[in-house]
Amino acid sequence: MPDDARKLYRAERDVGPAPDAPSTLTVHIDGQPRTAVAGETLLQVARRAGCDVPTLCHDERLQPTGACRMCLVESSDSRRLVPSCRHPVQDGLHVQTASARVLRHRQALLALYAADQPEQIVPGSELEVAMRRHGVAEGVPSVTSARAGRPEDQNRFIQFQPDRCILCARCTRYCDEVEAVAAIAVGHRGPETTIVTADMRGLLDTTCELCGGCVDTCPTGALVEKKAAPRQMELASLPTVRTTCGYCGVGCQMDLSVDRDKGQIVRVQSPPPGTTTNDGNLCVKGRFATGYVGHPDRLTVPLLRDRATGQLVPSTWDEALDRAHELLVDAKARHGAHALAFISSSRATNEENYLAQKLARAAFGTNNCHQCAAT
Amino acid sequence: MTNAITEIRDAELLFVIGSNTTEAHPIIAMEMKRAVLRGAKLIVADPRQTWLGGWADLHLQLWPGTDVALLSAMAHVILAEGLQDQTYIDTHTENFEAVRASVADWTPARAEAITGIPAADIAAAARMYATTRRAGIYYTLGITEHTHGTDNVFCLSNLVLLTGHLGQRSAGLNPLRGQNNVQGANDSGATPVFLPGYQRVDDPAARARYSAIWGREVPADKGMNLNQMMHALRDGDLKAMLVVGEDILVSEPDVAGLDRAVSELDALIVVDLFLTETAKQADVVLPAAAFAEKDGTFTNSERRVQRVRQAVPPPGQARPDWQILAALLERSDVEPVRGVATSALTPALIYQEMASGTDKFAGISHARIENEGGLQWPCPTADHKGTDFLHQGGPMRGKGLLVPVNYRPSVERPDADWPLCLSTGRTLYHYNVATQTKREQGLLDRHPGCFVEVHPDDASRYGLHDGGRAEVSTRRGAIEVDVHVSQRVQTGMIWLPMHFSEARANLLTIDAGDEVTGTAEYKVCAAAIAPR
Ligand code: SF4
Ligand code: SF4
Ligand code: FES
Repeated sequence: MPDDARKLYRAERDVGPAPDAPSTLTVHIDGQPRTAVAGETLLQVARRAGCDVPTLCHDERLQPTGACRMCLVESSDSRRLVPSCRHPVQDGLHVQTASARVLRHRQALLALYAADQPEQIVPGSELEVAMRRHGVAEGVPSVTSARAGRPEDQNRFIQFQPDRCILCARCTRYCDEVEAVAAIAVGHRGPETTIVTADMRGLLDTTCELCGGCVDTCPTGALVEKKAAPRQMELASLPTVRTTCGYCGVGCQMDLSVDRDKGQIVRVQSPPPGTTTNDGNLCVKGRFATGYVGHPDRLTVPLLRDRATGQLVPSTWDEALDRAHELLVDAKARHGAHALAFISSSRATNEENYLAQKLARAAFGTNNCHQCAAT
Repeated sequence: MTNAITEIRDAELLFVIGSNTTEAHPIIAMEMKRAVLRGAKLIVADPRQTWLGGWADLHLQLWPGTDVALLSAMAHVILAEGLQDQTYIDTHTENFEAVRASVADWTPARAEAITGIPAADIAAAARMYATTRRAGIYYTLGITEHTHGTDNVFCLSNLVLLTGHLGQRSAGLNPLRGQNNVQGANDSGATPVFLPGYQRVDDPAARARYSAIWGREVPADKGMNLNQMMHALRDGDLKAMLVVGEDILVSEPDVAGLDRAVSELDALIVVDLFLTETAKQADVVLPAAAFAEKDGTFTNSERRVQRVRQAVPPPGQARPDWQILAALLERSDVEPVRGVATSALTPALIYQEMASGTDKFAGISHARIENEGGLQWPCPTADHKGTDFLHQGGPMRGKGLLVPVNYRPSVERPDADWPLCLSTGRTLYHYNVATQTKREQGLLDRHPGCFVEVHPDDASRYGLHDGGRAEVSTRRGAIEVDVHVSQRVQTGMIWLPMHFSEARANLLTIDAGDEVTGTAEYKVCAAAIAPR
């Protein structure tokens, strides 16, 4: 062990953790002084001040690229408009986020994006929301882009619709920087530029882990959950329910879009980055493996073993619960409480586990209560 | 976990052991990758070459079941080179001399002979860990699913206490819980030794507390843990079982013997979503609601209690487990929640009753979570914010106990007849016994069935080829699976996932369990393999 490294480490620890508070500065956003921290961007400060600055290629989790130009603002350190998502704060800057010049730019740019999209923009997408909130300049004729697609992809979860892609590269940066498997990239040239995989293979034949983070981050709906794709235009109008994933112990929060009439989960999304522990991310199971919930194999009625035939046959709840209770009481009467075992589930809720041990202890007088995979 | 998940990204060093994090806890792995991209050092110890191992500064590919040897040698290096935090040890721990003595002759060279990891790597790992300030340890079933699982955990906590890497952000000792609510199930008292909030059943005061809440005496008998239950079942000492949401005939070790034992039970009652292997044997099968069909709370690995909310109705007559259990309690003349009519029962009220008997959750309620989002316990009062990392300013129990540990080999090791070491685990695309995930075609596309990973050397030795079929057998049984020839495993070891009921890995595994936790040794047994 290098001795000086050790000393250094000790010295560092003796003075306690490094102070986490960097120096603060002042920035004037739309005339109001705001405190900021060195290293922050204009966008971060403006949003904290409540300004409505639209963005398309920006995602808090990713390195900014400044590709979409949607977030341009006026800043006293530049004669041209600057992309606020990657423009660092400086002490004393004066920033205009809603000047006439900025608004003109915004509406013109949105018009260009709109012209390049299929006729109906996906409701609820960041692009559509930006258009609704900031308005679209008139007089830009629509264009047909020659963006190349990928051949029919066998994967069942993720669909790419090249005509909706604005090449913001959020999906590819997500795949590189967050999921870190680099399954997709921006490829080809000129008007053919699109999102590619190695040799244009289907996602199943790439390093893709089917996390679907690319779908969640896409601002236009060019990437969409395959199963929900036929209903893409109504997805935003479906009610959502915030719940906790039922798979592993990370406890990701997720928003289920629900079709109340059919009693179905239509798609699963992560809450926005920065709001919950999972920071906008989900894994393949949480996002895509909810098919078992409405699966035809589900049990829908209680079953009782018929004493004559030995078969399991449907019964009413009362019969089934009475029989269950009676069997446990009998076994206890004949063999004592220690001959009973209650196996609860590490997948059931806290409330259910509580009632399971209460049933073992309070009702049947035994501590024989445990669950599977008690890590 | 002693620390919160979002602290991972600020770590300066991650020591990941016995955890295939990218596959079993993908979201935590994302945070780990994020830390590495920000410059954190990464040490991975795993018998297999895992995906995260490819990112590591040091990948310690130890022989399965030799964790204690590795960790003892790391402690040895730390003490031999004076890298410990003596001030922390003196003020906050007990039993230092015993541990110093127990690791005294665990030189890296000795550990190399047992673990197969070069001594220099062991020493390097120890130095790296000891000399980095925000250094966190992360582990899962690769540490606990052994007969010496508790020893493994003691070794890890020794490392933490010797270096004082506790009670600060991004450090600590962090078990990543396997199933979604392992943490919560234990918190809620579904264990033979603890009442809710880890209050010991053998503590009369704790029993008195819940006896008063329930209006029923809490029994004082020594209950069985799962492993003991399975032994009692095999021995014919169990006569009746209620099984909620688990397919024990697929998930438990050495299942061959269990099939018969279960069929001889006087009573088997199963509550589940599907007609599982276990449910097929039951006298009564009660159809349950899935997570998206009910209300309640789950507690994640970082002790955060979060809401589960009903989004869709259960199919047909299926009901949430809590309603089923409440109906059974009622039939035993026990009020599911004291003073609440069963018709007025809600998960919120159930939580309230549970929390009323323990300081750990007393400040948590459904209403608060609704307003504030998930809360991390300990949270003793309604105005307490919850606790993100534990043991700030010294270990919670007063002094951290250092525990000397002796290396004990796994119960079953390879020999002439069973020449290979078999380890089992999980993949990204399936979950446990795949009751849920095998019903999602998009996942089956990636992993349609069971497979065994075999090192190329062993493949040629035993005449196996990639994509072919093989029979894997142990003293307990045999299954037929696909062959994946892969460098991910070491020569002399094979690995297979435990997800598939068609090829039940647990026909092979050994039911020896850890004495303390009852967790079975899924990670090591002796096996043979032959082409099919
Ligand atoms: S699903 Fe995840 S891994 Fe696959 S391409 Fe999208 S971001 Fe990359
Ligand atoms: S698919 Fe979506 S996220 Fe990816 S570049 Fe196109 S618009 Fe952006
Ligand atoms: S959001 Fe700033 S350039 Fe795209």
